[in-house]
Amino acid sequence: MNIFHSSIRNSRLDYLSLLSLSAAKRLNHSSISLGPNDVVSTTYENRNPRNLEKLRIAYKPKGYHLEKPFRNFWHKLEITRTGRHLSAAIVHYTGPVVISASTTEWCIRKYLYRTNDTSAYVNLAKVLSHRCLESGILEMKTDYFSEAPKSKKVALFLNEMENNGIILVEPERFEGYKPWDQHRPEKPWEIVED
Amino acid sequence: MLTPISRIAFKEFNEICVPLARFRHFMRGKPPGIAKSLAERLEEENKKDPDISYRVNIGYSQTVTPVKLKDRLEHYKKKSRDEELEKLSRQRQLKLSVEDVRKEWNQSVGPNQIRIIADHYGIYEHLFGDAYFIPIVPLDVKFKSDNSYIPVYRGNIIKPFEASQCPEVKFDAESDSLWTLILTNPDGNFTDSNAEYVHWFVGNIPGSDLSKGDLIYDYLQPFPPHGVGFQRFVFILYKQEGKIDYDSYNKKIPCRLLAERNFKTKDFYRKHQDVLTPAGLAFFQSDWDPSLTDFFHNVLEMKEPTYEYDFPKPYIKPQVWYPIRQPFNLYLDKYRDEKEIAKEFLLKKLKKEHPFKAPEKKPKYPNAFPIDKKYPSWLRLEMKKERLGWGRVNDY
Repeated sequence: MNIFHSSIRNSRLDYLSLLSLSAAKRLNHSSISLGPNDVVSTTYENRNPRNLEKLRIAYKPKGYHLEKPFRNFWHKLEITRTGRHLSAAIVHYTGPVVISASTTEWCIRKYLYRTNDTSAYVNLAKVLSHRCLESGILEMKTDYFSEAPKSKKVALFLNEMENNGIILVEPERFEGYKPWDQHRPEKPWEIVED
Repeated sequence: MLTPISRIAFKEFNEICVPLARFRHFMRGKPPGIAKSLAERLEEENKKDPDISYRVNIGYSQTVTPVKLKDRLEHYKKKSRDEELEKLSRQRQLKLSVEDVRKEWNQSVGPNQIRIIADHYGIYEHLFGDAYFIPIVPLDVKFKSDNSYIPVYRGNIIKPFEASQCPEVKFDAESDSLWTLILTNPDGNFTDSNAEYVHWFVGNIPGSDLSKGDLIYDYLQPFPPHGVGFQRFVFILYKQEGKIDYDSYNKKIPCRLLAERNFKTKDFYRKHQDVLTPAGLAFFQSDWDPSLTDFFHNVLEMKEPTYEYDFPKPYIKPQVWYPIRQPFNLYLDKYRDEKEIAKEFLLKKLKKEHPFKAPEKKPKYPNAFPIDKKYPSWLRLEMKKERLGWGRVNDY
């Protein structure tokens, strides 16, 4: 479930902030309200199914070590090559093909000289990465890096995706911590980037 | 139900004194190959009856006229003779324009792909339940920010400060047709998680001129609270069969009362389904930014709500009288009241600190200082952990 609890932001208690914190709590419990909009439930549910993936806390299958094809992804890039055509797609771990682009589409094929030459690879990568950016899916996993040294076309495809702002690595899942754990890893959404 | 202590003790005692003996091999459940795998079992459990749960298309069906074979062949012929194109392609200089591709994509495979990605974002499920539609009318929405335009596609991220002004909306429509445009947020409701907030509602738009339509709800910028992540903001364009009387929705403009913006697309569509057909879709995602503090205080006139993700509580086994091979202090801590532990740690911390003096400097190698041997080993270990800042010390 995608449930958030309302709380006061600084969870770390030190001596001086303790005083101010207790004051803030009292204010919260009192019936002082700034206006008619000040009716907020203490729990909140975000129904956006992609939200937890963006916050890096969604469930992610682990699969098996050394397994091929791997299963530990939220979204992954898949390139399909046939004798004549080239297709690329973004697949979600639950199964569906989410975003796709193919040289069989007339709107792409029309502008290409060949549908499976190097230019086709680069241009299809460009179109696919733009579709990903438009769809808000910016990070995905791929296994084609191992293939890239052998195939120049695939290397150019991946390079073009990265040039257009797609990150071809997915972040690790943040699983939280238990009270008896040794360390408290920093929460990804609390890291402020400059 | 309480069991007599003596009986529990006896049971535990028996467990400790189990003789080291090998037992006959036995298998729980069916053998592999016959027993179903977890994936198979889950699939069987989640299987839906197609007679009961099926989805209905409430929109228009898309009619794509494919390019004629004759035209295509002619195009290929022309291309194969085009020496410049060949040269560009072979030298990897051929760069197709994304704009041109998108324009044609919108007229061909685009609407179906928008439907797929909208499904991935749960748009239809949360707005219309079991119904869906194919957005055949390309909706061009742009937010103006400084000197640039920020377009809304299908899930791209736009920060609240970029979307503070009413966007420009364009779509192709005949001048005598009527349209309704609604911007709704299925994730933002502060009181009811199944309801939405309507951020913008323009009805009876003649052609594509929004300024001539009836403004039912004025535009309200996105205000996702801190800590809840990304909310979806969905523009839906409906085609009207005739003029609709939206007077029952009419609130005073500007409408700043959130309770009056409560909205359910499903109920709205049910009410007007005879005269409304969804035809266009665009959506973006937005998360908190610092500009919202001011917006909450001065525009909505409310305290800024802050949330934190509530991780599921870890499973803790039922307590037993004789936990075998468990460190007793850590084991007992798991069953203590969290507040009691917090108090203990906090008091210990406050004892050390002085309100007017600077805190003591931490030594570089804290465990280089010997601990008195008079303490038991478990306590010495705890002290070492505390010095290094491991475990529960971090929480308080």
